[in-house]
Amino acid sequence: MKKTRILLSVVLAAFLVMTIGVPAYGAKTIKIGVIGPMNFMQGKGHWNGAVMAAEEINAQGGIQVGSKKMKIELIKADSNEFLSITDATNAMERAITYDKVDFLVGGFRTEAVLAMQDIAMDYKKIFIGCGAAHPTLCIRVARDYKRYKYFFRGTPFNSMFLVKTCFAHLGFVGKELKTQLNIPKLKVAIVGEKQVWVEPMIGVAKTTIPKLGMELVGVWRPSQTATDVTAELSAVQRSGAHIVFTIFSSSVGITFARQAGELKVPAVMVGINVEAQKDGFWKATQGMGNYAMTMNTYARGVEVNELTKPFIEKYIKLFGEVPTYTADTYSAIAITLKKAIEKAGTLDADKLIPVMETMEVMVPSGRVKYIKDAKGRKLHDLAWGPGYLTSLGVQWQDGELKAVWPNGWQGVTYKGVVPYKIAPWIVEKYKK
Amino acid sequence: MGLLGFYLRRLFTIFKGEVLVLPSRIVVLIFFLSLLLLPIVTQDPYLLRILILTNIFAILAASWDLLSGFTGQMNFGHALFFGVGAYTTALLNLHAHIPSWGSIPLGALAAVLAGLIVGIPSLRLKHTYLALTTLAFPIILLGIVFAIPDVTGGEMGLSGLSRLSRSRVIDYYVTTILMLGLCTIMWKITDSNTGIIFHAIREDEVAVRTGGINTTRYKLLAFCLSGFFAGISGGLYAHFMRIAGPSTLEVSMSFQVVIWAVFGGIVTIYGPVGAVFLLVPLLEFFRFWPEVRTLMFAVVILLILLYMPQGLLPWIRDKVEKECPRCKIRNIATRNTCRICAAPLD
Repeated sequence: MKKTRILLSVVLAAFLVMTIGVPAYGAKTIKIGVIGPMNFMQGKGHWNGAVMAAEEINAQGGIQVGSKKMKIELIKADSNEFLSITDATNAMERAITYDKVDFLVGGFRTEAVLAMQDIAMDYKKIFIGCGAAHPTLCIRVARDYKRYKYFFRGTPFNSMFLVKTCFAHLGFVGKELKTQLNIPKLKVAIVGEKQVWVEPMIGVAKTTIPKLGMELVGVWRPSQTATDVTAELSAVQRSGAHIVFTIFSSSVGITFARQAGELKVPAVMVGINVEAQKDGFWKATQGMGNYAMTMNTYARGVEVNELTKPFIEKYIKLFGEVPTYTADTYSAIAITLKKAIEKAGTLDADKLIPVMETMEVMVPSGRVKYIKDAKGRKLHDLAWGPGYLTSLGVQWQDGELKAVWPNGWQGVTYKGVVPYKIAPWIVEKYKK
Repeated sequence: MGLLGFYLRRLFTIFKGEVLVLPSRIVVLIFFLSLLLLPIVTQDPYLLRILILTNIFAILAASWDLLSGFTGQMNFGHALFFGVGAYTTALLNLHAHIPSWGSIPLGALAAVLAGLIVGIPSLRLKHTYLALTTLAFPIILLGIVFAIPDVTGGEMGLSGLSRLSRSRVIDYYVTTILMLGLCTIMWKITDSNTGIIFHAIREDEVAVRTGGINTTRYKLLAFCLSGFFAGISGGLYAHFMRIAGPSTLEVSMSFQVVIWAVFGGIVTIYGPVGAVFLLVPLLEFFRFWPEVRTLMFAVVILLILLYMPQGLLPWIRDKVEKECPRCKIRNIATRNTCRICAAPLD
């Protein structure tokens, strides 16, 4: 009995030391906290990108910090931010105070990232946001630089630029239709899911579409989880629209593309369709999503620069899928942080910030440069446009996601971009 | 000096006769003391953060029990009070620059108003209909939040609120003292004449009405009281997190409160408080196994609900204490006779 009690005490003590005691990590590594909704696609992207970066750096012996090389150690922090903002902030505080991370990358839902940002700033930890697009995150840096200077945007570029990109795509597709089908006046239907983030985009679209020389024929708002959109598609068809400007982030993107393909609706799709960015889209639409176009960061075979192809191919080899934009934690760690640390020769956040603010680095999706606002204040937001980040327009062409844009746009040309294809039933209907 | 000694001796006698004779009361005493003395042992910010949030959610869970447990007014939209408290507090703090000590009570008053708004149309409803109606209110408010993003911040909410206090330890003491105080008040309410009427409304509302009691007034009172306490927790949450967003109004928040209360044991006040103090840190503890964290958490809840349908805390209490069949006084389970009337205990 006595022996059992002693054994139990030892087991309990060991358990406590393992779980509650000091973290058993060495002090000679650079600890990077990867925070994201790890049970969701976005968080998996965060983690996969970071793993790839850490493996690459560690295989080279680590990052040169002054006179010594330090390896990378990743700390996974599940923010669970889609379900609980409280959980997200707890994960952030735990990563900083318990796991004692040196840097943080990740975050997705704006409400959660705002709360997590405050915690990172309290502890003066550099936090590279890799998911949320809202401009406020960087506006905070400009307004209160002393406090928020530790935050940098990693990916994507802010939502104002996302909107500009979408309209550039719309203009490009419109030009293709005019050239190939000789349609004098293009008609555009807006179909956006019933979600709040869509509202400002519809507002801007209403004013921008006429400026592009096109006619707006109507706005339709199906539920983001709709399983049948035939009513909307019939209405779009009746309106005589040549282009459907899609704004989808949820499963309705699959429903819409599949049923539009089944009904052979004579209108091309362009805009945002998050589901169409994923590898599973083709199977989910049973091939009916052919010719659907969306904005995306990566596409297999396309080279934004010399880093793009090796990154995508290695990512596919490791994880079996094309990287989503949250996998840009890779760029944040393997390129931005690595270069800044090596240049500054220190892990001290206050010494790294001026280096990061001024450096320009090439990453697989373009070129990273941190911009200032109209008043000349430091924003830590990403530069957008020719020579920097533009993202891509991608189109499903016979089972493959191909990059179809932005060749020629403001002088930008990317290797591996293929011609845009118009569905044969649309060509048949409009070609004179 | 002699008078002080007299009062100390009297206090000890009360403690000996009323507190130290029952395990449940000893546990409550230890709970109070541990919470109040914890920062002397550790000031770890992560641990304090978890406990601060636990305190806030304990008030919220107890406030649900006060309404739904005691009066039987099954509220499935408790996030409404929490969200109204959080948003009002945030708006007052951001636009009127009212500090936390002013904005939180005002937020709670707004939640009282929300209690009235929900309570009045719900008076004629019962059971499933009431549950579904109450569920709709936070969803409606969420729609309003999204409809006026210039005021509410829309999808990203209102951020940049002033801190609850200057330090984590003060935050901890503010929330701990409020939690202990407010939960004690709620427990005393349920133990008062008003509480007995709440009980009676749940058991047989028609009989209470035939007894000449205005049940409408008491049901509205329950909605307002519950709203007040939930509003305080919402205000505390907003100032501590420095954000009030749509997540405070989400359906998942309403269900979480119900889970806490049912897990701990409804119609007790201490049950939901105990449940929050077990479940919130437990979910954090499961971070050691990130891949199966939520699964393990769900399994724990399911097992407790399966084998202890009355809730965890009443189950434990019934194991360590017995109720006297004659005078209804509770005794430690090891006693054979009642400590008051000496009746045999089975």
